[in-house]
Amino acid sequence: MVFNRSLLARAALGPAAGAVLMAFMASGAIPAYQMYSVGLAAVYTIVVLSVGLLAGWSGIWSVGHPAFFAIGAYFAAYGSGHDWPLEAVVLGAVATGAVLGAFLGYAGARFSVLYIALLTLAFTTVTLELINRWSSVTGGDQGVPVVQLRSALGFGTLLGGGTEAQYLAVGAAAVVLALAVPAAASGLRMRLVAAKSHPLAARTIGIAPEAQSSLSFAVSAACTCFAGVLLGLLTGFVSPDPFSLTFGISLIAACVLGGVGTILGAAAGGIYLTWNPSLSSAVGMPQPVVQGLVLIAVLLFLPGGVVPFLAKPARSLLRRVQRRPDAEVPLPADELTKPAPLGPSGDGPVLLHLEHVSVSYGGLKALEDASLSLRQNEILAVIGPNGAGKTTLLNALSGLTGNGRVSGSAEFAGRPLLKARATARRRLGIGRTFQHAEVFSELTVAENVLCTRRRITAGDRAEVARLLHSVGLADVADRRPGELPFGLQKRLDLARAMAENPKLLILDEPFGGLDAGERALLARHIRRLHAEGTAVVVIDHVLDDLFSVAHRVLAFDFGRTIGEGTPDTVLQDPKVRSSYLGTVEGRTRPPTQAGERSMIRLHGVGHTYGGVVALRDVDLDVRQGVVLGIAGANGAGKSTLAGILHGSLEPARGDRESGGAVRTSLAPEGRALFKTLSLRENLEVAAYGAGITGAPLRERLEETVQWLPARLRDRLSASAGGLSGGEQQMLAIARALIVAPDVLIVDEPALGLAPALVDEVYDRLARLAHDGLTVVLLEQLLSRAMSVCHEVAVLHEGVVAAQGRPGDPEFAALAEAAYFSGGLDPATTTAAANARTSSVN
Amino acid sequence: MSQFLLVLVSGVASGAVYGLMGLGLVIIYRATDVVNFAMASLATLGLYVALSLHDRGVATALGVLAAVAITVAAGLVVRETVIRPLGQGQLFSALVVTMGVSLVAESVAGSIWGDQPKSFPSLVDGSVRWSGAAVPVQSLLTIAVAAVAMALVGYLFARTTLGSAMRAAAESADTARVVGLSSGRLARISWALGLGLAALAACLYAPRSGLVPTALVAPLFRAFAGIFLGGLTSMYGAVLGGLTIGVLDNMAANYVSASFRDTFVFSFTVLVLLIRPQGMFGARTFQRV
Repeated sequence: MVFNRSLLARAALGPAAGAVLMAFMASGAIPAYQMYSVGLAAVYTIVVLSVGLLAGWSGIWSVGHPAFFAIGAYFAAYGSGHDWPLEAVVLGAVATGAVLGAFLGYAGARFSVLYIALLTLAFTTVTLELINRWSSVTGGDQGVPVVQLRSALGFGTLLGGGTEAQYLAVGAAAVVLALAVPAAASGLRMRLVAAKSHPLAARTIGIAPEAQSSLSFAVSAACTCFAGVLLGLLTGFVSPDPFSLTFGISLIAACVLGGVGTILGAAAGGIYLTWNPSLSSAVGMPQPVVQGLVLIAVLLFLPGGVVPFLAKPARSLLRRVQRRPDAEVPLPADELTKPAPLGPSGDGPVLLHLEHVSVSYGGLKALEDASLSLRQNEILAVIGPNGAGKTTLLNALSGLTGNGRVSGSAEFAGRPLLKARATARRRLGIGRTFQHAEVFSELTVAENVLCTRRRITAGDRAEVARLLHSVGLADVADRRPGELPFGLQKRLDLARAMAENPKLLILDEPFGGLDAGERALLARHIRRLHAEGTAVVVIDHVLDDLFSVAHRVLAFDFGRTIGEGTPDTVLQDPKVRSSYLGTVEGRTRPPTQAGERSMIRLHGVGHTYGGVVALRDVDLDVRQGVVLGIAGANGAGKSTLAGILHGSLEPARGDRESGGAVRTSLAPEGRALFKTLSLRENLEVAAYGAGITGAPLRERLEETVQWLPARLRDRLSASAGGLSGGEQQMLAIARALIVAPDVLIVDEPALGLAPALVDEVYDRLARLAHDGLTVVLLEQLLSRAMSVCHEVAVLHEGVVAAQGRPGDPEFAALAEAAYFSGGLDPATTTAAANARTSSVN
Repeated sequence: MSQFLLVLVSGVASGAVYGLMGLGLVIIYRATDVVNFAMASLATLGLYVALSLHDRGVATALGVLAAVAITVAAGLVVRETVIRPLGQGQLFSALVVTMGVSLVAESVAGSIWGDQPKSFPSLVDGSVRWSGAAVPVQSLLTIAVAAVAMALVGYLFARTTLGSAMRAAAESADTARVVGLSSGRLARISWALGLGLAALAACLYAPRSGLVPTALVAPLFRAFAGIFLGGLTSMYGAVLGGLTIGVLDNMAANYVSASFRDTFVFSFTVLVLLIRPQGMFGARTFQRV
């Protein structure tokens, strides 16, 4: 932890305010009848701080704090009745709170936020019942007095209900606030928040969420017990009344009102709790009504709380004053223009060795018998179509296989890897990034990297600053990741993985979603990492960029290795090539001509997800009776296009016209069946959703069931989750057919299916086309799209890069080039007569 | 033996009430991701209306219908005014908002009808003798009414297209949208159904407990214990969990200590959850990257 001047100044604010308050109290400026309220506000501030920081930092909303508050108060009462010294009472209360809190926190880490709320609710209920019934100790609902507590260390005697107790409460609150300030700047808070905002990503940097929540709950409960002792001294009398469940709800209201996880907000919440009764009588409404209304109003209109709401404009004003004018583009341009060549792979010792590693989830084998070895100073690229098992391989390496069964053996730097917990693999020297840049949204950019350290020194801060500078994030170090574009979030993800210089870096689709400039920059980073001696395993679908940074390429399909080679040679392997492009010949050809009537037309359609461009400027015309194939690699924007064609997704730009009352229906990617529903119910629900009920529904159901293969017709009452992949696909298509659509949109029907089943599915689709249905087919394999469709549009990075008829020999070459890299050279593409192309970038 | 039989019948009757309430909570939670803490206090409003009607000489059965209608209406108003504006997926905020609603509703009930305990009419009186024990008819009626209500809910969800659509929307809201199901309408139906069940449970419970503004807090908590025991998303789990809690609760009160029944019930629940975090029937979820 680093103490700089501003931190010390802020930490001193609490004690300073406390001292001023005490001076006022001593001078008599505060009327005697308000002295008690001031003390109470101080005690409440401690409790609200405990609850609020626990929620804000660890994401645990406790309804159990009234119980801890009560435990502390009864410790004071019991101690006073049995002549315990003050120190013993405080120690006993704090220790009891810590132990119980640690247990609740540990148990709570396994549950979602709702379960924790209920767990702590149960804790409060049980504690209150004990207090009410165990009258020999607690006095039952009669209560017990706190007469006095004598200090064993010679600080004198505190009378229950006396003025000293009021001073003590204010002083204690000041100290607790002062301690919270450096805690807020510490690595501990960063690790807590990291574990809360993304438990899975936190594991990959060595943070165990269970330990974090146990610790934070223990501290929070201990503080609340301490506040309970103060309350006992302050009131001089302890009864069960103040510790009701309503108090627990009010505590949450106070936290939310002040601002969850802010220290100043806790003080505001404590003040609100204290003077809520006066407020209620001032507005002439019962206290619970005021509390309830305030709670609802704050959650609806000020979910961030009052203090952050007020602080935000103040801070942005400050920032505007302080901020020096600096360039918006945070990367040095000269480095971008000269790409360093990739150094040779070393002949170093083997760093990672996998033998026959398999991962299965239930009956599904996501990864089968994977073997590979990686030398130090080598970059290995792993390629394969969607669902090939690439991400599962990475998850097995980083220990994130969840409840999957992992078998086989793996060695990393001479140690067995598979038995090591995910949190331990960071220490072994493995860092990883995520496809969607899983950064900690509630930490700043710098904190995202800093939280990899347990204790943060000045040296650490300097080192992280250097690292952020090297990836071009230095100017945004104090911003939240959510304010940054996706490309910068991915850089942050990379920086976090690179911190502490891992021996092996695992990159999950690092190029996906980046523009050309960012991809070039990323390639440069990977080369530099290699030059510094880091081994890298990288998977991606953007093959050009991937191959530019790889020494060796491993190809996967159906969970198995299907080929290996250098970047130059691997795509020449027919097996690898066919896994992307396909070799399947459709048995049933589509009908030879299509009608001219336009069913759906898209004009200049574009779509983005949180700053990531999924589609750009797409024009498409779906004519009646056509089988239109849309081919593209994973992430090219196919599913987005499917949703827009279907009409269930509103495009961000451009428009969709459909001719007259055209009914579209979609069989989504991955089937998306209702797995807990039976086959028949899946069909019925879709008809119901389209407004078909009663007799017409039964009729449609009858007809659609006839379309299903015989083996499914006999199992209409079985649940859809039990079907095999191919059967699920049939059902998904049938579910789309039951509404008698004019246009059927099928998104990747072949995904994850064995070849024979793929043929069957395509056969049936072709027959539907013969019957006059208009079909839009979104397909990952270009050759399959070419073999079954009238027209094929190739989608590359959200753009229609080529469009034409499969029969046209010129189009075949064009489509292939478009599929892999967005098109041939612009000069040659214009020559293609029948195809409309647009080049990317 | 006759004592045991009495405790068992009274346990099953309590459990039927907790099970009905739990079922209502689960139906609403599955459809809209809201743990409806206000359910009990809204049902209390319904009970007070039923009691007022009874005092004016309206038949108890009509009063029960009025209680259900009032509770459903109040619940739909709450959903439209304070839950829907929160937006989707706000699990904790929604829970806390319903806590706020429950504070307000209890206080309003107290200021209109007073905080003094009132007795709520039984639907039937008397008892039947059964192997030497005088079993109250009200207990048997409670069990019967709850069983019929649960069977109807079971029929709705298992045998009708509307029920299938509700289950479908609960399983995946996204896919439901793709096949054209109207999530808003299904959500309203779920809220109405859940609150109706809660009001019915309240009418069965109140004759034994008497009526104060916080009368239903205890059964609500036990229903919570029941659904956590059964698994938050399982309707069977809610019913079986509620029954388990009811029987345990009455057993504990009679054979362990009447003073520590909640301690016993909640400790049992927490222990089960520590061993099986997803509850007895809940599905284990797995987060993927």
